[in-house]
Amino acid sequence: MAWNKRTLLGTIGYQNLSNHSIGPMLLEDIKSKDWSTHITVEEMNWGPIAIVQWFQSLDKPFDRVVLFTAIERPERQIGDVSVFKWGGRTPSDKGVQACIGDAVTGVISPENLLIIGEHFKIWPEEVYIVDVEPGPEKAGTTLTTEVGERVVEYLNTLEIVCREGWHTEDNFAILYGDQISVE
Amino acid sequence: MCFKNLPIEFDEQGNAFLKENVANPYEYKVVQLDKEQDKLKELLVRNGFIKNIDYDPVTRVAGALAFHSVVDLQNKKVLSTNSMATLFRGYEIILKGRDPRDAAYISSRACGVCGGVHGTTAALAMEMALGIVPPPLGIVMRNILLAIEYLYDHPLHLFLLAGPDYSEELVRETNPEIADAAGKTKSKNGKIHGYDTVLDIMKDLNPLKGKLYLEALSMTRVAREAYVIIGGKYPHPQSVIPGGLSVTVNITTLNEVYTRLIKFFDYGQKVTAIWDDIFDFFLEQNPAYADCGVRPATMIDTGVWDRPGVYDASYKNCDKWGEARWATPGVAVDGEVVTTNLQQVNVGLEEFVEHSYYEKWDGHRFKEDSLGNPLSPNHPWNKETVPKPGKQSWKDRYSWDTSPTWDRMPMEAGAYSRLYLTAKAQKLPKSKFLESTGHSLKINVPGHNLPEANLEWKVPAKWNAFERNRARAYCIPYSAVVAMENWMLAQQLLREGKTDVSTPYEIPKKGTFMGVGAWGAGRGFLTHHLVIDNGVIGNYQIVTPSTLNAAPRTPWGAPGPYEEAVMNTPILEKFDKPEDYQGIDILRAIRSFDPCMPCTTHIMDNNSNHVVTREVTTCACGVE
Repeated sequence: MAWNKRTLLGTIGYQNLSNHSIGPMLLEDIKSKDWSTHITVEEMNWGPIAIVQWFQSLDKPFDRVVLFTAIERPERQIGDVSVFKWGGRTPSDKGVQACIGDAVTGVISPENLLIIGEHFKIWPEEVYIVDVEPGPEKAGTTLTTEVGERVVEYLNTLEIVCREGWHTEDNFAILYGDQISVE
Repeated sequence: MCFKNLPIEFDEQGNAFLKENVANPYEYKVVQLDKEQDKLKELLVRNGFIKNIDYDPVTRVAGALAFHSVVDLQNKKVLSTNSMATLFRGYEIILKGRDPRDAAYISSRACGVCGGVHGTTAALAMEMALGIVPPPLGIVMRNILLAIEYLYDHPLHLFLLAGPDYSEELVRETNPEIADAAGKTKSKNGKIHGYDTVLDIMKDLNPLKGKLYLEALSMTRVAREAYVIIGGKYPHPQSVIPGGLSVTVNITTLNEVYTRLIKFFDYGQKVTAIWDDIFDFFLEQNPAYADCGVRPATMIDTGVWDRPGVYDASYKNCDKWGEARWATPGVAVDGEVVTTNLQQVNVGLEEFVEHSYYEKWDGHRFKEDSLGNPLSPNHPWNKETVPKPGKQSWKDRYSWDTSPTWDRMPMEAGAYSRLYLTAKAQKLPKSKFLESTGHSLKINVPGHNLPEANLEWKVPAKWNAFERNRARAYCIPYSAVVAMENWMLAQQLLREGKTDVSTPYEIPKKGTFMGVGAWGAGRGFLTHHLVIDNGVIGNYQIVTPSTLNAAPRTPWGAPGPYEEAVMNTPILEKFDKPEDYQGIDILRAIRSFDPCMPCTTHIMDNNSNHVVTREVTTCACGVE
């Protein structure tokens, strides 16, 4: 049953960049929800390589991973939220190496995490990316109104994806690592 | 007499003073770069084989570095270079006006790799400003924390960032004759690392798949695990505070660290054997490689790893506690050590902004330090950070980095400077594991799975890209044995019941207090100059290794270390058509410095208190 899947819900993003920081900004709200015991909520900014090594050391792997972040995408309104299923393809070896170069020198990026995780084959069958349209990057410790007023919707979306995941696959576009955009 | 260019002399007691009858002692000539650039433009128009080669960004380095060069592809010479830091560092502005206790936590965020060293450097600046002396166990554990941070950083540089430049995949693309020869060359150190031929090593340096690449990734994990036992988390430790550390240290802590540390004894032996084999092979195959990234051994380091019982945090005694460090501070000019005195290292520092996106400041608040040593208006205690974004121009301003100098000379910095100065200076206090001979550093590595070994890093005749990386490899066993020596001291302190790790302090609400944190990142030299005014930070200036290395020209036209090293680099890559040229020799030269731009340049204050945004000038289109 999907309900019992061991699920990791991770937030990603730099601090202090307003809507771009929605992951770390909502972390405490996400944690405070009444999750069932098979869902682990974790901040995922501590480096893709370290995360790879963490996954590799797990006695019992996760069945499902849900990443919550902000990514600028064309043709979306600020505050729009999309859910993607990770399709698993990676860029060229040089591209992967560039991601690793960034990762080990402290860059925080959902793309890097997905690509490096894929390269080292840590991801389970089900990896979802829930990303909010943040608009242009700007400084700030708060969310803009367009995003702030939709926080409940984001939390509900996360809950649905964590709970149901694969069973609503038709709703999800596939995201690949060699383009990080929708096919 | 360590200063040749600044008009500073010393009396018989060693007190510094400005030479008499010098009307404007800190005056300098500003050289216009127009003529040089006009000449290059003309050459580019007239000669199809002279090309602009731009790397934007330079990959496999930390952060935003771009590099512009003009290369004569026919005569295989670099004609001109410009190093560009493409992001602004706003930490100096962010920290201004804040509670000084914030400095360690906020400045730690200047880098995603070496946050711990920024945090510690901020703590050291506070300790000097306010006279806070950590207890012995606090000092010793801080040393261990630093050594472990290096044990994360050095493998990362050697195998993930610079290493792929020497891998079979890349060498076959750029110099197939070298790869072919490697297959026929037996490695000299096979007994230690287990590889038969040099090509076998190069294959395992291949990115993503090579065993050495993957092993380095796993060793960074070992170091990180050890780090968080003391630091709480990585890369921004929670336990680093002025006055020591906020962590309980007991025998379990030490045992947990020890089980990780010992893995670096074997690894240090293996890594030095590997890089000795690789670099000796390249230099034997083509002696012209000795000019890749070559420049005079003119370098600076603050020294690291304080001695408990000697370190008293004071500026007055920093010459003594500096020289007592496990890595000797100092300056080498053209290979010769000119000072090991931290006060002199500090007094000779200046920063210039003529080719950077900053306004020149007017003030000269501190004409002398607290001991009466003269300070330049360009000294970090006097410098003000006034960003001025603008058009990129090779004739004028082209970088967010400044031009730091010591005694008016651009200086390079690196982990290798730490090794170089320590080996040359012969100031190293008696150690079970280390001996400085004046021409080498002997490192006695304890046994683990491999038997114990006596390694010796020798000061090279030529200072080039290969030697920077070779020295970096030796910094692994060097850091590991310093950690071990401090671990033994920590054991002894625990046995004696000296378990305090921090000293309480208060921030005075009135008065001006100055301090300089002099510590070292994995990449070398790091200073934080702090001025506290009436309980808050009045000025904060950070000079990182990459601030020094990535510097643009000085006002008088001297190139920064990257610029100079690349200018001297011969083009040894094999290519038939100009469009096939990859620039591997230039990239090897740049990467040998281990560029780390996040702390060189960063994100800016957006005309409001402590708000962060980004100002990027990366495009070289339309550059003059």
